[in-house]
Amino acid sequence: MNEKKTETFDPKPLLEAWLKTATNFWGPVLETWSATSGTPETSLNQAESRTMKNLDSALKSWKVLSSVMSEPEAGKSILEGIQTLPEIVLKMTQTGWDGYLKLQQQWYERLLGIGQSTEAYRFDNLDQDAVNVWREIYEKEFQRLLHMPQLGLTRLYQERANTTLDNFTLFQAAIAEFLQLLFLPMEKSIQVIQEKVAEMADEGQLPENPKVYYQMWIKILEGHYMTLLKSPEYTTKMDTTLGAFDNFIASKNEILQDFLQTLPVPTDKDMDELYQEIYLLKKRMREHEKTHEVETSRQEPQS
Amino acid sequence: MAEAKIPVDLILSKLAGDAEKAPERIQKAKDVLLSELDTAIATTPYEVVYQEDRVKLKHYYPVLPKNKLMKTPLLVVYALINRETMLDLQPGRSIVQNFLNDGIDLYMIDWGYPTRKDKFLTIDDHVNGYMDNIVDFIRRKHNLPKINLMGICMGGAFSVMYSALHPEKIQNLVTTVTPTNFDTDQGLLHIWMKNVDADRMVKTYGNMPGDLMNLGFLLLNPARLMIDKYVGFLENVDNKNFVENFVRMEKWIFDSPDVPGETFRQFIQDCYQKNLLIQSKMELGGRRVDLKKITMPLINFYGQYDHLVPPAACELLTSKVGSKDTQDICLKTGHIGIYVSSKFQKEFAPKIANWLKEREPVKPKRGVKKTSSRKKPAKKKVAKSGSVPASPQP
Repeated sequence: MNEKKTETFDPKPLLEAWLKTATNFWGPVLETWSATSGTPETSLNQAESRTMKNLDSALKSWKVLSSVMSEPEAGKSILEGIQTLPEIVLKMTQTGWDGYLKLQQQWYERLLGIGQSTEAYRFDNLDQDAVNVWREIYEKEFQRLLHMPQLGLTRLYQERANTTLDNFTLFQAAIAEFLQLLFLPMEKSIQVIQEKVAEMADEGQLPENPKVYYQMWIKILEGHYMTLLKSPEYTTKMDTTLGAFDNFIASKNEILQDFLQTLPVPTDKDMDELYQEIYLLKKRMREHEKTHEVETSRQEPQS
Repeated sequence: MAEAKIPVDLILSKLAGDAEKAPERIQKAKDVLLSELDTAIATTPYEVVYQEDRVKLKHYYPVLPKNKLMKTPLLVVYALINRETMLDLQPGRSIVQNFLNDGIDLYMIDWGYPTRKDKFLTIDDHVNGYMDNIVDFIRRKHNLPKINLMGICMGGAFSVMYSALHPEKIQNLVTTVTPTNFDTDQGLLHIWMKNVDADRMVKTYGNMPGDLMNLGFLLLNPARLMIDKYVGFLENVDNKNFVENFVRMEKWIFDSPDVPGETFRQFIQDCYQKNLLIQSKMELGGRRVDLKKITMPLINFYGQYDHLVPPAACELLTSKVGSKDTQDICLKTGHIGIYVSSKFQKEFAPKIANWLKEREPVKPKRGVKKTSSRKKPAKKKVAKSGSVPASPQP
């Protein structure tokens, strides 16, 4: 029993059996079909005989293919090709799983950080790794697939679609990081107010009015935002997010343009060219008008 | 270990007390919100006397008889961001009304709502195109060589550029919360705009979307503008007056036209990033904007707590112009507090009106030798609003 379990699965006999069965079934069927078409040729029969000729050639190709595939070397190379498919899928799954484990590790580390005291109005040790890890995984593993050169008649449209998908993913990552950064003052201000309330409780100076707590919190929150919004980290992150958004919009618009060109409607590009021409024409006209007015006013006293 | 002295019982009894009043307040709030609310803005009557493309010129009907009006009309130029309706938010809080009551013959530019076809319009088109045509129209209509010009925020920057390029057409210049020096880190906008890629944004959007700019303005102070403001609203939602005023402000603040792409590009690159305006190096249509050519009287208002256009962005202007009659007025308020705060309503408009009246050209009487109408140019003053009471930031 144990020996049987350790044997590896060899698909070669299965493939040979399948080939033999298919040939034995389809061969006689097609031959019988072609044999029954012995009627004289008429205009209607001409179409039918063309069909039979196509079937005949398909049968002959199949016989040749099955005889080639039944040779040991050809069968072996096909099997090897089929066997690599699971390896590819396995590799992709492994990459995804590694990435998920990395993320999980980051979450656990953050969870462990809860409860530690925090310094007010400071944003040192921002947990960059946690927010960047998805983007890094994407850029390392998946982005390359979208940047592969495309082939064929529709290669340009395929490339644009891939670019849009890439930009969309990058934008999603950027906005997630940006929103996480924007949320930081909320987290910090809640921690700070908790510490402050604890201090006031120790001193016995807790106010009775709940509104006072709100006012304290909003002031702390405002202060934290003022510190964050001036920081170079925020400015850089904001610029990156804006850039990612702009890139996504631009690539999305390109796809829409391609789509609109199939419809009988003008695209933004067409209209922009028209608007620019109108703008330049109007400008020239106004300049001429002004020149004419000046010349007319000069000539008037003479007349 | 000392016992924690948290007055839980007092906090809970306070909360219980509030909870008792809550149903009554909710009922009142419901009545207010479902009732007829007067939230109309910009209700002072006017007529559109000139239009070019999307740009309109509004002329407000005077409330005083003709003989009480100032001879030189005032043209107000608002920014391209948000709308000029803020100057006429509601009766009792209307700079427009105050100007009319003070005898000013008032014109105002309505920049309209730019569409995609406006994306090629530059600052030159706005200043030397629309503004110049409008100024000429008013001059012709009143048969005057010069008019008074007042600019607000970006409109003030446009007014400064216009006055430098066409000083022969401007009698007096008033600038309010006007950014002219962009080389400062006092305001967040000045920090953020240094990194903005204006070329990429114009290429992507065409015109700069008003909603995107609004989002940016909200992010300047998310705690106050996105949380505290609405908490305050909920606390006063049973007060009809408060709700009406709040809704008016909301209507205005989120009424954001797009900014034409080329104008946005040049404003960011030449002003925010290269700071050319205050250095007299900015060019419009190939002509250099030389601030020394601003030789007419200038009064410059700005807000001490202005987080959009901080004092450092405004206060250099008077030292860079060629005029000898200049005045800086720093008010203890924020960017729009000057216009919407009820406290400053009583100070701001009358001050401008009186300043303009003092500089009104006097027509010589018959048989009287014409004397110079100009007063001795005042020395440059910087009023740090010692007489103006402090006002909470709006």
